Amino acid sequence: MYQTTNTRIIVPEFDVRQPTSLEAVLRELEHNAKGTRLLAGGTDLLVQIKLERTQPARLIDITRVPELMGMAVKDGMLIVGAATSIRTLANGVGVRERYTALAESCDAFSTVPVMIMGTIGGNLCNASPAADTAPALFAFDGAVELASCEGSRRTVPLDEFFVGPGRTVMREDEVMVAVRLPKTAAGTGSAFVKIGRVAADISKVSAAVKLVRKDDRVSECRIAVGAVAATPMRAYTAEQYLAGRRIDAKTLADAARAVEEDVKPITDVRSTKEYRTHVAGVAVKDALGAAWQRARGGERQ
Amino acid sequence: MQTRTKLNTIGRNTHRKDGIGKVTGTEQYASDVSVPRAWYGGVLRSPHAHARIASIDTSAAEALGAVCLTFADVPRVKYNERTNCAPPHLYRDRYVLDDTARHVGEAVAAVAAPTRALAEKALRAIKVEYEVLPAMLCAADALKDGAPKIHETILYRGKETPIEHNVAVTRLIEVGDIEKGFAEADSIIEREFEAAPVYHAQMETKSVVCKPAVDGSITVWATTQSIHNTRQLLAEIYGLPLHKINVKKIAIGGTFGSSIQMNSVVPICVGLAIKSGRPVKIATTREEDMYDHCRYQVRITLKLGFKADGTLVAGHMKTTVELGAHNTQGYHFLGVIAGFWVSLYKLPNMKYEGTAVYTNRTPSCAMQGFGAPQATFVTEVIMDEIAELLGRDPVEYKLTQYRGLGDTFWGQGPTVKSIILSDGVPELLEVGAKKIGWDGRPVPGTQTGRFRRGIGMARSFHCSGVGQPRKTGAEMIDYSGAIVKLNEDGSIDYIQSLMDHGGGTCEAIAKLVAEEIGVPLSMVGISDVDTNTTVYDITTHATRGVFAGGAAALKAAKSVKAKILDYASQLLDIMSESLVIEPSEELGQGVIYCPGYPEKRMTLGELAKYLHVNSWGTIAAVESLHPVTAPPAYVTYFVEVEVDTETGVVKTLAAALGSDCGTVVNPGLAAGQLTGGLSKGAGCALIEAHQWDRQTGELASKGFWVDGKTLSILETPLLENLHIDFAHTYEPTGPFGAKGIGEASINPALAAYSNAIYNALGIRFREVPITAEKILAALSTKKVRRTQPAQRELVNS
Amino acid sequence: MKRQTVRFTINGEARELAVYPNDLLLNVLRDQESLTGTKYGCGIGECGACTVQVDGAPTLSCLKLAVSVDGCKVVTIEGLAKGNQLDPVQEAFLDNSAVQCGFCTPGMVMMGRALLDEKPRPTEQEVRDHMRGSLCRCTGYASIVRAIMVAGEKAELS
Repeated sequence: MYQTTNTRIIVPEFDVRQPTSLEAVLRELEHNAKGTRLLAGGTDLLVQIKLERTQPARLIDITRVPELMGMAVKDGMLIVGAATSIRTLANGVGVRERYTALAESCDAFSTVPVMIMGTIGGNLCNASPAADTAPALFAFDGAVELASCEGSRRTVPLDEFFVGPGRTVMREDEVMVAVRLPKTAAGTGSAFVKIGRVAADISKVSAAVKLVRKDDRVSECRIAVGAVAATPMRAYTAEQYLAGRRIDAKTLADAARAVEEDVKPITDVRSTKEYRTHVAGVAVKDALGAAWQRARGGERQ
Repeated sequence: MQTRTKLNTIGRNTHRKDGIGKVTGTEQYASDVSVPRAWYGGVLRSPHAHARIASIDTSAAEALGAVCLTFADVPRVKYNERTNCAPPHLYRDRYVLDDTARHVGEAVAAVAAPTRALAEKALRAIKVEYEVLPAMLCAADALKDGAPKIHETILYRGKETPIEHNVAVTRLIEVGDIEKGFAEADSIIEREFEAAPVYHAQMETKSVVCKPAVDGSITVWATTQSIHNTRQLLAEIYGLPLHKINVKKIAIGGTFGSSIQMNSVVPICVGLAIKSGRPVKIATTREEDMYDHCRYQVRITLKLGFKADGTLVAGHMKTTVELGAHNTQGYHFLGVIAGFWVSLYKLPNMKYEGTAVYTNRTPSCAMQGFGAPQATFVTEVIMDEIAELLGRDPVEYKLTQYRGLGDTFWGQGPTVKSIILSDGVPELLEVGAKKIGWDGRPVPGTQTGRFRRGIGMARSFHCSGVGQPRKTGAEMIDYSGAIVKLNEDGSIDYIQSLMDHGGGTCEAIAKLVAEEIGVPLSMVGISDVDTNTTVYDITTHATRGVFAGGAAALKAAKSVKAKILDYASQLLDIMSESLVIEPSEELGQGVIYCPGYPEKRMTLGELAKYLHVNSWGTIAAVESLHPVTAPPAYVTYFVEVEVDTETGVVKTLAAALGSDCGTVVNPGLAAGQLTGGLSKGAGCALIEAHQWDRQTGELASKGFWVDGKTLSILETPLLENLHIDFAHTYEPTGPFGAKGIGEASINPALAAYSNAIYNALGIRFREVPITAEKILAALSTKKVRRTQPAQRELVNS
Repeated sequence: MKRQTVRFTINGEARELAVYPNDLLLNVLRDQESLTGTKYGCGIGECGACTVQVDGAPTLSCLKLAVSVDGCKVVTIEGLAKGNQLDPVQEAFLDNSAVQCGFCTPGMVMMGRALLDEKPRPTEQEVRDHMRGSLCRCTGYASIVRAIMVAGEKAELS
């Protein structure tokens, strides 16, 4: 149903809090979690508010919270603050080398101002089935660290994080603190492929692959696809099929077919169910091919 | 070829005069105008595709302090918002506000309030009860027997005229005898095509500011392609004498046809200003704008008969056009499709049947090319196919059949016929073919790899202006006026209401004026004007700005020059015929002198000062001009694409674009017209379609640019693969030999892409946009939906 | 909703403004500061016409709350030239006929400036990647690409 909007202004009214520490953020949530949304880059949330698809009473601006920003390597694990911008992440030391698919998904992230304003946590918390960074984070077995105002912390594997379009397992009183990525093994290769109408677009289909190549076989492989189901999803059938196999034309074709059978896309304004089904397989195939090459190349993993 | 031996200003790249304001952010557009005490206006829009307003209650909005406007508050004057057509061809079917909404997003009521936020609150406080009516969301539904009427009657030639079957207008145009023609043909080919409607996506959404004065006069700043037409229509609606309405000429953030009419928010804003007695500003949102206008949806069936040697002998075209909720220019649009079609190739026998249908969708209006992109799509794809059937190179074959030098040409339709006097097509096709590597193009259907390359070619034109007959039978009004004035220091004011949409029209005309009078360009100013201080100019449309508007200004400049020389001859005591004026960059002045007689010399500044100090008076001229021709501004496209057969994604690798715009006045900006045409044209060919939900009549994009995608900087070819060439022609009827360029620059795009994709895949696409989805579907079935039955109708007799 | 006070600089000048929590930087610039060079194009971050710099980073002012620029340095298109001396990007846009209707120009120039600040001699592909969020409907982008590259080349020469 047609709905009146006015994108020149923000019609809904709300309060904005601007805490400067994680503790303060949690305190804000403790007082009033209901109807509160965390505002990071705003490139998605403010659009949703402008289009009046969500009307929070209160926004907590988390872009001035040092604990939520920046990147560090701890015990080989890459820890990315949830309010780290997509562009900072893409250019992070070692990210492109070790987590190539993730860097590529950041590169493909809409436009440069949106990469600068948008954050990794925001991209995940908005829980779009087409979220660009999600498939890559799935592929790297990423997890998110959530903190609640009660003081508890929990870590949720990324592939258990999304529940449906716009929905995650996060509670209203929680804040995403960081995204954690395990160390990549020797012989790892990864790649991200996105198909849109134009380059700067919400994807019609996206795919990320991370594999470990050992003795010219796939010793380990994780594949995820975006925009082909209610949430970003793993392509388990293809993963299982590829384990222990060599990547060649036949295995690529078989893997693509397996992906086609696993995905459950819909027809919308951006593409059709049929197209997405087929192209999900193509995207995975292309990502697999690139990841396989990179795994051998060794200069990128 | 008739050319000037030496041009001082024309053909040089210069910093456009409005450029400094544009690069520093200080140029004002309608949406930037602020007037003291102004209130913000907002428009309440229909959520229904078709509904009668049973009741409307504005009391809650008024209680918030807003001033409200409903159909009861505005004059019940039926009008057509585009007044370029001569009155006998105007179909009036709309009111400022009506008691019936005919498309989702149509204005239902309006408010003005001190802040945007309050205006928005007030809008939402208006209570409307709708009686929802059945909506016809495609032509097939609208044309069904017994389909509910979108308009019961319209005002036509002074009479309320019933509309039957939702058919707004039909046209039948015949030349020769097609029965005889087809009987003489050795082969006949018939194909069906469809071009989706697209959104203009001009950068600036429509805006308007109206300031009323206590004496009842109003000042208006509006996004418009014609300040005078806007003024005339406001006068018609609000019953004011023209002198009490002053419409300001102001920069416009792109139009591509979207503001050829007086935009629907303009009279609403005026109504609010009059009712509230305050200045009111309405700056529409992108979502409102996307519901406001789009290109016509066109379905065309074309049947062509040709001899074994390729000579075309007969053509029959049937066109169905979806107008949307209002008939802004259906009659003219049907006519130009015929005109563009028959002017592409020599066709002794033709029949054209056009039908324009109302639907409950966004009203269509002019968009760059206006019928030519669609007519060219159909014709150039079929001609490519005929060339293949005949085993001939499409370039060579088309050159034997096209309308060129010395041929008769219609352009804008059957009432406008003229002889082509300048033609750069052979030159452009030769150079384009060479730059794109035409001879090395693949053989269609022979490639097997995943990525397949193809080169496609199409040629087209746009008529420079409308060029109507002078006495009876004119469909369109087509004249320009201009004022040129010599200032007291020797500088020149160029004063014209003609709009520059960004292509550099006024910059070009300033060059024509500078060239003619003989002053440096820096001494010509483009005046900031309005309707009260200018003479009439129809509209910047139909690629007429430089050709027709420029010709009027040139006429005024000639008149000023004659007066200058007359005065100078008195002062210098020498016959005016022996004097010349030339620009001196060194003096920064025009210099009047007699070649070979050095003492007889003065600067234009000296002359002007003398006239001023001694009270001889002002030198100025006002002229108007009606061009008698509308010469073809030819454009040629060669595009090279790469098709990913696994994803259906099409990439433009290279393009060679050629323009015959006669004398090139602003080379850099003219090249920009071509590259802009390519970018927009490629968007229409590959991804863009304005789509409505078949149940609700809502836009699939919901009016948001995220899903109304246009091409970005990444989808255009690299600079080294982008070739731009201009023909070395001179149009004898144009100012300094110039023709138009802007609209023409998009016209071959749809056909060139379809032909290039055919060259890559061996599959013909006759529906645009040719999306990745369509390409994959076609590849998987190895045939193209809907066009396959037509192929069987190919007769080889 | 209550107004909040924000302090920031616009084009080097200090400002203290009372704004509502839901006020957009875009509208504060245009309506309160009369800096109308920053344009509304789409309202949802798809076109780049509203691009300004916040603490040196290109920022979409149509998706930026005014309260969130408290303490920041905001530069708009009006603040790019130094007096009468145009920024090299502005100059190059004029030299290369990269300005047509001009409505996208402020955003384009701001993005071009940001790129050259990061990378003084970008390749054509880098220019295109960087500028992909700024839509232009007039030029077809060729002249804009050229202008930014030329601005980079000229700055290196001087």
